[in-house]
Amino acid sequence: MSSYQHDLAPTITSNIVCSVDAKEELLDECEEIWRQMEECQSKLTLLGIETLPESDAQLSLLMMRVKALTAEYNQWQKRSPEIISTNLDVLVALGKEELQKVDHDLEMVLSTVQSKNKKLKEDMKREQQWLDEQQQLVDALDVTHEEMKNQVVQFSEQRALQELKSKMLKIRAYKEELLSALGEFLEEHFPLPEDESAKKKKKSPAEEPTVQLVTLHEILEHLINKLMSTPHEPYLTINDSFWPPYVELLLRYGIALRHPEDPNRIRLEAFHQ
Amino acid sequence: MSLVKPFDKLPTLNAATILLVGTDESQQQQLAEAILKEKKTFKINIHVATSLPLPAERDHIRPRIDLIAFMINMQSKHSLRNVEASLSHMDANFFLGKVCFLITGVGRMNHCSVEMNAVRKLGNLYSSPVLFCELDSEGIRAATAQRLLRMLQICAGHMPGVSALFFSSLMKSSIDE
Repeated sequence: MSSYQHDLAPTITSNIVCSVDAKEELLDECEEIWRQMEECQSKLTLLGIETLPESDAQLSLLMMRVKALTAEYNQWQKRSPEIISTNLDVLVALGKEELQKVDHDLEMVLSTVQSKNKKLKEDMKREQQWLDEQQQLVDALDVTHEEMKNQVVQFSEQRALQELKSKMLKIRAYKEELLSALGEFLEEHFPLPEDESAKKKKKSPAEEPTVQLVTLHEILEHLINKLMSTPHEPYLTINDSFWPPYVELLLRYGIALRHPEDPNRIRLEAFHQ
Repeated sequence: MSLVKPFDKLPTLNAATILLVGTDESQQQQLAEAILKEKKTFKINIHVATSLPLPAERDHIRPRIDLIAFMINMQSKHSLRNVEASLSHMDANFFLGKVCFLITGVGRMNHCSVEMNAVRKLGNLYSSPVLFCELDSEGIRAATAQRLLRMLQICAGHMPGVSALFFSSLMKSSIDE
């Protein structure tokens, strides 16, 4: 409001005191107009009542409208603009009144525009704030995005390798554990027939075994290695180092199979297939 | 029984008279209150009637009627029939811009028992503007009151240079578009 204050029109003072003459003149004019109206009225009352016909009401109504509009048109054509009053005082008073009205209207417009401006400014501020917030959000998201990108690279190279390594270590340890447990089991329950051979040695030193016997553990290892390294040729030839009862044991319990044509060769049952 | 005529009496100075014709008295009351609440520069007389013709015995104290608003409730076929019956008791000169149809209850279209086409046809037949409004809504009620007041001002001849006939022709052409 303050920025416009100096532009505002000065208040119009209606301190004019209408002269008695002017008032008289105006009243006379009004009387004259009223007399004219009364004349018209008396003419009008002579007119009968017009009612719309039942049929074609619209048409007759439209005809009436045409007539009336034409009459009005002619009236406007004939009419010449007339001054309300020739009295100067009256004109000045009227002009001031009119100016005051305009002034009032303009002030209303001004205050409306100002309030609208204020509202627009507030809207603008709010929108700007919103925009800033959104921008910040975008920035933050960009940063996060960059970080994520780097992390993805690290994941694929280092972390995956590390994970695989640790898994491998675990599995290896577990394998060692299993192997040693199985080895212990075999050594405990399937020992080499040392006692017997020692007795035999004592009894008949001539029959000294030419070959050193291998343990069941070693037989199994040979069989497994053979099957794993040369799957197309998994057969192992039985030699003297294999103690026959153990071979028999393996064959009987289906751990090993004899070659269908050569009885001296055995293979491990394909448990892994 | 008296037929209403547009120019049967001299006008009252600085005053205008509107006649509301409709079956729903509470709606007429509502609308009249809304009109009286509006700011105006002249005295306003509001007359209400359920139907035309108006009783003859009070004709001499009744001022000149400047505008007749026929109120039709979209939810009531009876209101439409009532208005249609009333229309035949009027001087044809009234239809030169001093009649309007006020259609109420348009806010609840699914409860309408009067067809929109019927009221449009009525407005077309009598060459009079059809105003749609929902008097239950305060904002629309006030806006309708303002419209009626402005029309009344024109119909009473308070607007220099604009006659009722001229105004209704303007309204009609804008509606037809």
